[in-house]
Amino acid sequence: MPDRKIRIGDAWALLLFLLVLAGLFVTPHDPMSQAFRDSALEGPSLSHWLGIDGLGRDFASRLWMGGANTVSLAAAALGISLLLSSALVAVEQGGPGWLGRLVRMGIGLWVAFPVIFIGLLLLVFLKPSPGALVLAVGLGNTAFAFRQLRVYWMNVRGALYVRSSEVLGSRGWQLFRWAIWPNLRPDLFALCRLLFAISALELSGLAFLGLIGDPDFAELGSILKQNQAFLYQAPSLVILPGLLLSLILLSAHLTRFHR
Amino acid sequence: MDEENPELAPNLRRQRLLLLLAELRRFAVIFLIASFGIFLALEAMPEDPVSLRVKNPDPARIMEIRESLGLNDPWLVRYVRGVGDFVTLDWGQSLISGRPVREEVARFLPATIELSVLGVLFGTTLGISMVLMAHATGWRFLLQPVRGLAALGLTVPIFWIGLLFILFFSVSLGLLPVGGRFDFAHPSPTGTGFFLLDSILAGNPEAFWITVRHLALPVLTLGLYPAAVVAGTLEARLGESYIQRLVTALKARGFSSLRIWGRHILRLVSGPVVTVIGTQAGALLGGAVLTETVYSWPGMGRFLVDGVLNRDLFVIQHGLLLVVVMALLAITGFDYLARQLDHQLSIKPEDSDA
Repeated sequence: MPDRKIRIGDAWALLLFLLVLAGLFVTPHDPMSQAFRDSALEGPSLSHWLGIDGLGRDFASRLWMGGANTVSLAAAALGISLLLSSALVAVEQGGPGWLGRLVRMGIGLWVAFPVIFIGLLLLVFLKPSPGALVLAVGLGNTAFAFRQLRVYWMNVRGALYVRSSEVLGSRGWQLFRWAIWPNLRPDLFALCRLLFAISALELSGLAFLGLIGDPDFAELGSILKQNQAFLYQAPSLVILPGLLLSLILLSAHLTRFHR
Repeated sequence: MDEENPELAPNLRRQRLLLLLAELRRFAVIFLIASFGIFLALEAMPEDPVSLRVKNPDPARIMEIRESLGLNDPWLVRYVRGVGDFVTLDWGQSLISGRPVREEVARFLPATIELSVLGVLFGTTLGISMVLMAHATGWRFLLQPVRGLAALGLTVPIFWIGLLFILFFSVSLGLLPVGGRFDFAHPSPTGTGFFLLDSILAGNPEAFWITVRHLALPVLTLGLYPAAVVAGTLEARLGESYIQRLVTALKARGFSSLRIWGRHILRLVSGPVVTVIGTQAGALLGGAVLTETVYSWPGMGRFLVDGVLNRDLFVIQHGLLLVVVMALLAITGFDYLARQLDHQLSIKPEDSDA
């Protein structure tokens, strides 16, 4: 494509995501060690940019790691919903008619179960852990993703330009790569953006409920849960995690990577 | 309406009957799937819930308890008995506290219903009145918060907003209580379990005021999401051209703004608005559980989450199923209401995959 200029929103979102994800590898201090218990709840200083949390851990490190974890877990959940729903759309569109009806019926029932129910159901037999939550959120959003994806696919597949390239002899991969994909991509990207935001919110919500298992696991929701106890003494411990999550999601909404 | 069109009436009635039947079938299928899913999940539970509870790990004693709870029967017997127990409200006892699950539910459920109903009512009223007021008065700046609200739903976590409300209204201003449902220093109202209703029935204004103060922040928090969804839907519907033409026509007849927007237009767009609340019931349920946790509200959400984390067999079995049934009832109820408000919805579209 000739128009390759990156917009400010895209550049900003990319920068923020890379910066946040760096928290998986580098943080100023160890986010888990309670090395500074003597100065718990102390305010910001040069070595501790955002102060120290109630259990004596460097808060900037925890926040950074938490943001990185939330983003990567939400991305994993998004991956699950997207993979499952595309497989289902493929089966529904390409398979025999009875199978298609079965899939549509199954999805119609699936939407009746909210994420919170699926999460609790999974945790009955799985140990509460970040992985279980990712699975719950991914499965919970699959029905929604399927419905959107099916509409996009049917719109593009039935479009006149696709029909014309079929008439001109384009088949299979060729047809998909040159006629369908370029027009499916913007919708797909918009769906990903939406699903990412929903997944991140649901994931940190479930973590806030204490369903993530280890209460010390650095995830923005579980950090909020743990710091709620210090609402009076150190409000910034509660304000900042939510602010970071909102900033991440707002930046994701501002992206326009297509066209 | 039906009398005016004698040849249409039987057809419409038949349509409605068919729709009701489809609704019932869907209800039954979802109930069976949910109950079987919960059963399977409990079967797949790695730990034995009984041996987790017994202090003395004597195999014979554990076997005895399992036998008395009927856990050693074949799976089909256990499943059918589980569904039967649920339907007959014989919900067994919590393995943790030893209290009957039904009594616990009777204690927690009214709290959740009181909070959710008020939250949805408040949110819907807020959303509708803001949008309609903006259109009726022509003050477009009233739509700014509506757009902000719509963006809020997908960017800001609801539980964080709840925490911010606590920080502002309770910690900084000291106006409202931080959490809980009632003041510990006073005896809470008794009767139906809905404190607002109970305090009115008892004629106790002080209890009523305490209840309202405790309800204010949770209802505000829970109402934000429905407000955003309702306002967004309403705004989209009002933008349609036939509405614009109708407004012009009604204005030409000399009706007041209040009458045009509050009566004619509201009636026209209320169907889709009610439908969208129904479809968002799942998200609302999640929001209710989160709100309960933020404000330490003694409701079903906390009860179920603790039940699952503690592997409390009968709480999980019947509590989770109850939540599914309640959510289904809410969705069906909203659907019915929407069809009553908008008769066009009674005719089922040809290509429906639900």
